[in-house]
Amino acid sequence: MKTEDWLAVWLGFVVIAVACISVLTGWFDFSALKFSTWAAGETLSETAAAKVVPLADQFGAAAFWWKLLRTVLVLGALFSIGIKLQGGSIKKYIPAFLVLFVLAVAVRLISAEFTLNRYLEWAFWALIVGLLISNTVGVPQWLKPAVRTEFYIKTGLVIMGFSVLFSNIAKFGLYGLGIAWVVTPIVILFMWWFGTRVLKIGNKPLVITMASATSVCGTSAAIATGAASGCKKDDLTMTVSISIIFTILMMVLEPVLIKAVDMTPLMGGALIGGTVDSTGAVAVAGNVLGGEAEKAAVLVKMIQNILIGFVAFFVAVFFATAAGSKKGGKVGAGEIWYRFPKFIIGFFVASLVASFIIQPLCGADQVGAINKVLDQYKNWAFVLAFTSIGLDTNFRELMKQMRGGKVLWLYIVGQLFNVALTFAMVWFLLSGAVFPVPVLE
Amino acid sequence: MDRKKIGKIVTIITGVAVLAAALFIMINGLGLSDSLDFGAGAYYYADIPDFDKNLTPGRFTASLPFWVYVLLFLAWGALMYAVWRWLDRRK
Repeated sequence: MKTEDWLAVWLGFVVIAVACISVLTGWFDFSALKFSTWAAGETLSETAAAKVVPLADQFGAAAFWWKLLRTVLVLGALFSIGIKLQGGSIKKYIPAFLVLFVLAVAVRLISAEFTLNRYLEWAFWALIVGLLISNTVGVPQWLKPAVRTEFYIKTGLVIMGFSVLFSNIAKFGLYGLGIAWVVTPIVILFMWWFGTRVLKIGNKPLVITMASATSVCGTSAAIATGAASGCKKDDLTMTVSISIIFTILMMVLEPVLIKAVDMTPLMGGALIGGTVDSTGAVAVAGNVLGGEAEKAAVLVKMIQNILIGFVAFFVAVFFATAAGSKKGGKVGAGEIWYRFPKFIIGFFVASLVASFIIQPLCGADQVGAINKVLDQYKNWAFVLAFTSIGLDTNFRELMKQMRGGKVLWLYIVGQLFNVALTFAMVWFLLSGAVFPVPVLE
Repeated sequence: MDRKKIGKIVTIITGVAVLAAALFIMINGLGLSDSLDFGAGAYYYADIPDFDKNLTPGRFTASLPFWVYVLLFLAWGALMYAVWRWLDRRK
């Protein structure tokens, strides 16, 4: 129970429990710091300018500093306890954590800038900041105790579990299930076959992480399946970077193509929801096609968001059994349990509690309010993780991970297959040729 | 020129073209909507302001009981896992 996996589960549960008490009772504020969007001098439209808060105003508010203090204290205390229980030195960890946290604040500040936050995720900026330090001045020895990527990722994933609500499975009925769930595993299997058999990539965790990011929902799926399969940090960096860059292209080009072929907004939205990686990009691309397309796009994407936990679970089982082992052969139940990443259990428990206890008892609004608090702690945990990855990555080693471009082709071919199969399913279900066209209110 | 070399050149050209296109989109602010305070940078649904409005009950009324969806969901997942195991075992 004092392993990194179990401790991540307990720490995640503590954050979830305190957030629930805070929101449901209203006794205290537990929200973590989040930068509002700021602009670095760009010319903005009136609508856009109304949503921007100048940095001076943000820094000038007392609430900002309280939230910053609360965030560093909560995360610092929890992770320090976790490190201590794992046998680490708190004396070495705390100063290193504080410096890592300062870097994380810088990352979140950069990624809240108006233009930068519209295209690139904070995961990208965290990697850039970490890579810049590690490949220029180098990472000092005293900072290394805080570079605990897996610990931060696993804790963040347990917290994220609370936001994965099973009730969303039925939001778009059989139509959504068909588009999101029938297509997704087929794309994963196709990419697995293509990556391991055609491209002959021997690194199976990399292939499954890339396949999940492409077919499910980009960064979050990559983080979950990467942790479940035990993929290397370089592999996760490569997967997330490729997914983020292609998301920018797809967000802009897919609506243009959909308009060019005169697809209905419902079909176009569903196609976008099933193929564009990040949820934000899905909403924006759907919005270009109109309100109905945006709704269809986010509903399909929501179902895909539920898939993260299931895909990560199956990936964990796969890699814990003979199928995922290098030597092959049968593995006993005890060994499977030993190898199984326990934080996946925490993820599922959090999801089940939110879906079948808190939501029926307290209502969807309260769950939404709790998730607004939890989302920031999850983001801080992931920013710490990705900054750690950057600090731990050698740029030359990262380039080697491209494996002569095979990883790039795995993504491109997989994504093209994803678009083709999703289009076929969208036509089958939503064109009206086979089934009645559903009406979104 | 051998196939390997051609493959390498095509890969480099593709990679550079993708990066250049992404940079072009970002520099010119393409594909954004003024009415939405986010873009691709909001990678997870909980990061999106007012996302709940898209999920309010009644957007689409499901015709079957909830447990049918859960059953179909799990059955398809189990079938696909079996296919994956089979694919991995095949020589």
